[in-house]
Amino acid sequence: MSPSDVVVSVENVTKTYQQGRVAVHALRGLDLEVRAGELTALYGPSGSGKTTLLNVVGALDHPTAGRVLIEGRDLGTLSRRELSHLRRDRIGFVFQAYNLIPVLTAYENAETVMALQGVPAPARRARIGELFAEMGLEGMEDRRPDELSGGQQQRVAIARAIAAGPAVVLADEPTANVDSETAEKLLDIMEKLNSERGVTFIFSTHDPRVMERARRLVRIVDGRVDGERGNGA
Amino acid sequence: MAWRNVWRNRRRSLVTVAATTLAFTVMILYSSLVQGYLRTMERNLLDLELGDVQIHDPRYQDDPSLYSSIDDASELLARFDARGYPASARLLGFGLAAAADASAGVQIQGIDVARDRRVSRIDERVRAGSWLDPDAPKGVVVGSKLARTLVVKPGDEIILLSQASDGSMANDVYTVRGVLLGVSEGVDRAGVFMTEEAFRQFFSFPTGAHEIMLRRPADMSLDAFAAAVRDLAPGERVETWRELQPTLASLFESARGLMVMVFLIVYVAIGILILNAMLMAVFERIREFGVLKAIGFEPRQVLLVIFGECAIQTGLAILVGLALAVPGLWYLAHVGINMGKLGGMAMMGVVLDPTWRGLIAPDVFTMPLMTLVIIVAVAASYPAARAAWISPIRAIQHR
Repeated sequence: MSPSDVVVSVENVTKTYQQGRVAVHALRGLDLEVRAGELTALYGPSGSGKTTLLNVVGALDHPTAGRVLIEGRDLGTLSRRELSHLRRDRIGFVFQAYNLIPVLTAYENAETVMALQGVPAPARRARIGELFAEMGLEGMEDRRPDELSGGQQQRVAIARAIAAGPAVVLADEPTANVDSETAEKLLDIMEKLNSERGVTFIFSTHDPRVMERARRLVRIVDGRVDGERGNGA
Repeated sequence: MAWRNVWRNRRRSLVTVAATTLAFTVMILYSSLVQGYLRTMERNLLDLELGDVQIHDPRYQDDPSLYSSIDDASELLARFDARGYPASARLLGFGLAAAADASAGVQIQGIDVARDRRVSRIDERVRAGSWLDPDAPKGVVVGSKLARTLVVKPGDEIILLSQASDGSMANDVYTVRGVLLGVSEGVDRAGVFMTEEAFRQFFSFPTGAHEIMLRRPADMSLDAFAAAVRDLAPGERVETWRELQPTLASLFESARGLMVMVFLIVYVAIGILILNAMLMAVFERIREFGVLKAIGFEPRQVLLVIFGECAIQTGLAILVGLALAVPGLWYLAHVGINMGKLGGMAMMGVVLDPTWRGLIAPDVFTMPLMTLVIIVAVAASYPAARAAWISPIRAIQHR
């Protein structure tokens, strides 16, 4: 694999929060590279820094020190507007709590990022139609989030995350709020997207099922990479 | 998205729209009444008393005597006629009026009855009896309070005493033809109107006039008209009504300023309501704004969503407010409010009409509308800015 395949590069990143008088060191000089097409799971105990790492990689939070590069672009050098555009065009997010917009239908939620990009409506329709068919969401286009089950909402969230063809999808505990059967279905979908479409995923998880499906497992402890292994894929 | 967000909390949105509607409707009606009041006062002042522009002999202001007259008044009137400017000359003198045991100091005004109708509507303000008739030179019309002081009514006789222009004693008996409604404090207390011919005879004043009153064409500003009149009457003192009555002119201006202040006070209350509603709406949805920013919304796009919601609510309030205000305006303009005993009373020397009518004019709508839009925009700015520039991670983690 060439260096140009590196989608995410985290270089000696530290992140320190101030909670009152106490400094909380969420990340302590963490290094990580994720290449295109990987399906990487970050695991480790609660408070180890997994979510903080995803937030920093997703340009939602700034590191206290170190560099984060997405496709070679140093996030620390980008303006607020450039960061918005980077999140819109190159990063997809799947949140633990789905975080769909309640006033929009499933279809509208899924097309939001493409609409922001200015993709014409017919192209959006075709793309979302294809994704909904692939994810078993056909017939649910006009439903509002509160008319969908947790698994359906998470599938819509995945469709929203990948619709615009991001370089990487960051998923924070994507199966935490759904039952086992739904979790398996979600993992099937994400695995399929990874293997067939080459979508790069980074999960944070405690879920052994997610870890089983991941091709690369990175253990985070105390804000550092404590070890990693492949999963035989 | 903004439209749907408005109806997420239907009750709160309806309360906000209802309060804004109420304020907007009341402000339109209030604006109509205040402007109607000012317009009526101004119209009464100009139609009954001053005209738009007056010409006097330069000496008249310091020495308002019979001798401070415009000698070439007829020639000036002919010039104004040629230009199409409505104008009428008035003859002014002072004297004493007596009837039975009562007497009072009076200002006697000699009027060209036919010509005066071009510049004044005082002939329409007769409460009892009738206005002057050139064929009845011994008939006079008196102010309302003067009639009370002298205890006279139409048909009664009064004696006028003064000094004629030749130095002789002028005195004669006249019949009261009419008693005026309220016109102004001065006319009400001391006004005696007679025909021009009667005046000239009484004061032995064969030519000239003391005052020429003019009305401006509708398409000319007051200042432009005054300038045109000055060109036509060189050597005479030409003054606009604003120069003649600066206190009243500034009263009208300050009343308009006061109206804007009332707009602001009422609308600031509405602005606080909107601010509160929008703050609640923003804080309830703070995680959503975080998600929007996470997926690529720029601050300006979040601002658009919030301002869009405000614009929808305000737009609805404006539409409903207009629908409610129009019949109210029609009523105020065509029926008005009966002033009861206040009708006919003078305020700052200008008489009030018995019925307070509203005014329908573009200003009546535009001033409350513009003020509302500005206040709403200011009120929505803070919550909108909070939502637009919040850190996405802080918003998503908000509990």
